[in-house]
Amino acid sequence: MTRPAFRDLLGATAASILAATGVMAQDTSPNPDPTQVQPVTPTETATSDPAAPPIPLVPATATWDSFHGQLNAQKYSPLDQITVDNVGDLEKVWEVHTGDMSDGSGDTPATVWSATPIFANDTLYIGTPFYRILALDPGTGAERWSFDTQSTLEALTQPALKNRGVAYWQADDPVAGEACQKIVYIGTMDARLFAVDADTGTPCADFAANGVLDVNQWNTTNAEWPLSLLQPPTVVGDRLILGWAGNDWALEQAPPGTVFSINARTGALEWTFDTLPEAMRKQSGTANVWTAMSADEELGLVYLPVSSPSPNFWGGNRTQEAPYATSTTALDVDTGKAVWSRQWVHHDIWDYDINSAPTLVDITVDGTDIPALIQATKMGFLFVVNRETGEDVWPIEERPVPGGDGSVTGEVYAPTQPFPTKPAPLLDQAEKPQIWGLADAVSFGACSRKFDNLQYDGMYTPPTTRGDGALAYPDSAGGVQWGGVAFDPESQIAVVNTSHITQSVQLYDREAYDRIAEAGGTETGGFSPQAGALYGLQLQNVLNGLGMPCWKPPFGELVAIDMQTGDVKWRRPIGASQKYGFYMPESWGSPTIGGPAVTAGGLIFIGASMDAKLRAFSLATGEELWADQAMAPAVANPAVYEYQGREYVAFVAGGNSILKDQVGDQVVVYALPR
Amino acid sequence: MQRTSYRIGAILVFAGAVASLALAIYAYVTPLTGVNGSVGALIVIAASLVLALAALVLPVISTRSWRNVLRGLLLLGLIGTFLAGLLLHRWWIGLAMVIGLIGLAIDMTRPARAAPPARTKGSLR
Repeated sequence: MTRPAFRDLLGATAASILAATGVMAQDTSPNPDPTQVQPVTPTETATSDPAAPPIPLVPATATWDSFHGQLNAQKYSPLDQITVDNVGDLEKVWEVHTGDMSDGSGDTPATVWSATPIFANDTLYIGTPFYRILALDPGTGAERWSFDTQSTLEALTQPALKNRGVAYWQADDPVAGEACQKIVYIGTMDARLFAVDADTGTPCADFAANGVLDVNQWNTTNAEWPLSLLQPPTVVGDRLILGWAGNDWALEQAPPGTVFSINARTGALEWTFDTLPEAMRKQSGTANVWTAMSADEELGLVYLPVSSPSPNFWGGNRTQEAPYATSTTALDVDTGKAVWSRQWVHHDIWDYDINSAPTLVDITVDGTDIPALIQATKMGFLFVVNRETGEDVWPIEERPVPGGDGSVTGEVYAPTQPFPTKPAPLLDQAEKPQIWGLADAVSFGACSRKFDNLQYDGMYTPPTTRGDGALAYPDSAGGVQWGGVAFDPESQIAVVNTSHITQSVQLYDREAYDRIAEAGGTETGGFSPQAGALYGLQLQNVLNGLGMPCWKPPFGELVAIDMQTGDVKWRRPIGASQKYGFYMPESWGSPTIGGPAVTAGGLIFIGASMDAKLRAFSLATGEELWADQAMAPAVANPAVYEYQGREYVAFVAGGNSILKDQVGDQVVVYALPR
Repeated sequence: MQRTSYRIGAILVFAGAVASLALAIYAYVTPLTGVNGSVGALIVIAASLVLALAALVLPVISTRSWRNVLRGLLLLGLIGTFLAGLLLHRWWIGLAMVIGLIGLAIDMTRPARAAPPARTKGSLR
C-alpha cells in the first residue's frame, strides 16, 4: 500500500512539476444518533497541589527537551542571540551523518526520519530510524554514547522504517551517582520501549524488564500487527503518556486506540484511556494517538490528538457514536479520565486524523486573558478553544454538509460538521479548487475532464463508488501535518505551515476491488484494500497525464496569525516544489511536512519543503532572511537551544517518501560565528 | 580573419558545452548541491555531452542543409540545457549555455560555402 505522494505532484515536464454545541464528549452511554455529539459533563478537573508553586505554561528558561520543544508544544525559544539582523551570518557549526538510512533499494526498507533533536542534560539526544539513540555534544556533535535497540529493521506496520525521536525524563531531585535518575526513551516499530541512562546509555534495570517494556503485551484486540512506537512518549511529571501507530487502510478492523500511562521509573502501567466505546473496540478499532501530545502541568491535563476509527474511508461498520474519535481530548493526567473533548470531524470517513499536538497558548482576546489551545487539522482548520473547558474562543459552528449519493452500502453521514469562524481556514475549502490553467492547457484539457468526473458537493463530500470518485480538498495529505502550530507568547503570533493538495477518493465494492487486485492493478495508483470491509479504496492526487497538479498553486504556504484577533497577519508560499531535481518557481510554493520553531529573536526556522532547504523568516513580516541546503527534506520541527552561551539551531534532514523520494541521515546545526 | 571567427563560433559552443558538462557533473556528484543524484542533473550531463560532440562535428559538415539541421538541433539543445540549468538553480550552467548560443550565432554567420574544420584543443585537426 502506497499513499499518494506529494512527490507525484509534479511531472517531468512541468518543468515539468460546534457553535460548539456539540462538542463536549463524554464517556457515558452512547448517543443513538451517530452524528450528534452529546455534551459532556466534565469530570473533576485535575487540580494541582495548592501548596506547590504554579507551573508556568511557558518555561522560565530556554527549554527544548521534547518533540515540540516544550510540553505546551509552542516550539518557542526565548533565546535572542540570533536575530533578524544577524541571521544572515548563520554558519554551519557541525553536522553528523548517523549512517542510519536506507533508500529501500536493498533488503532494508526505506527510512522516514521525522525526529526533532532534544536538548537536555547538556546533551543533544536523537533517535534514528534504525532505532538507535545518539547522545551528542551540543557544541561539536561529538558522540558521547550511543545505544542500539537491535530492533528488527522490518516495516511491520508502515511502508518504511520510521522514527520521530526520543523522550527525556529526569527525577525532581536526582541522586548523584545513582543510575537512571535521568532517562532517555526510544520506541520501536515492534512495540518495545527502551529506557537508558541519560549519562551513559546503559539500560535502566529497574524499568520494566531490564530497561525494555513490551507494549505489545497490551495488544489484545484485533492484534493483526504490533503497536508501533514511532512517536516518543510524552513525559508529564513522572509519567510517560504513550500512543502508538498502526497499519492504516489495510484491514477493516484494527487494534483499538488505547493510550497508556506508564511510570517513568519502572515502566509500570498506571492507567489506560480507551478512545472508543467498548462495543466498537473489537468491531472497528483504531482512533489511536500516533502523534505528539501536549500538556499543561499546572492544570494537570494532557491533550490528546485522536485519529479516526477503522477503516478510514468507510464507516458502515461503526455507525454508532464515537465521540473521542477525530478529536482533541483533555485527560486528567493523574487518572486518565476525560475532562473534556471536542470532536472535529463527526463520523470521519476521510482519514482526517488529528495529527499534531495541540498548541497551548495564553492569549488576550477582546481584553480578556484566555488559557487557550490551538488544534491544527488536516482540513486546514485551526480550532481554538479554552484549554481548561474546551469551550470556543471564537464561535465554532455546526454547518450542514453533503450527504452521500446512495452508492455506499451501510454508510451513514453526519448532517453537520464543525467549522471555525476564526481563524480563517488555512486553505479555502469553501469553493471547489480552481483548475490550474497551465496544467490544463499542456494536457489538452485533461484536468478539466478530471474535475468534471469527480463528484464535489462542497467540503466533506463523502467518498463514492460513482464516476471517478469524490474530490477532496484537502484529504489526508493536505492541511497541517505533525509539525503543528508554533507560537510566540510575546507577540501572540501563531505560525503554521500548510499544504494545498487536491485528491480524489473512490470506493470499489469488494468484488470490483478484488477483480482489479487479481489483475495486478492495485499495486500502484493509490489502492488500499480495507480488507474485510465492503469497500476498498483508491486515493490519488489529482494530476494530469504529465504528473502536474491540476489545481492552482501555491502548493504550500507559511501563515502567521494574530491570535489576539484571529486574523491572518501574513501568508506566503514556502519553499519550492521539485521534481527530478528541477525546481519550480517559488511563487508556486511546496507541499510541506515538518513544522516551524519561533524565537524571541523575531525569527521562524523551518525546513519542511520539498527542495530540502532550511530557512529562516522574519516573524513580523514573513520575509525570507536565510536559507541553506540540507541533504533531504527536514520533515520535523527544528530545535533551538543554548549551550555554553551560544545559541544553536538544529535540524534533522531525514526525508519522507510522502513528500519526495529522498532520504537523509543528516543532523545539521547552525550558530553565529564566534 | 573571417575564417577564424567561424572557428570561434564552434569553439565557443564546444567550450560552453564542456563547461556545462563539468558543472553538471559537479552538481550531480557533490553533496548538498540540492540536485546531487538527481535525474535532472543527469539529463544536463547527457545533453552537454551531446552538445560538445555536435560542436566538434559542426565545422566539418560541408553540406549546407545538414549544417543548418545541426545548427537547429544545437539551438534547441542549448536553449533546453539553458532552461534545465536554470530550473536546477545552476546559474553557471545557464551562463555556459549563453556562451554556447553566442558561439552558435557566430557560426551562423558563416557563408554558405563550408569553412575548413575548426581546431579545438586536442580534438580537431
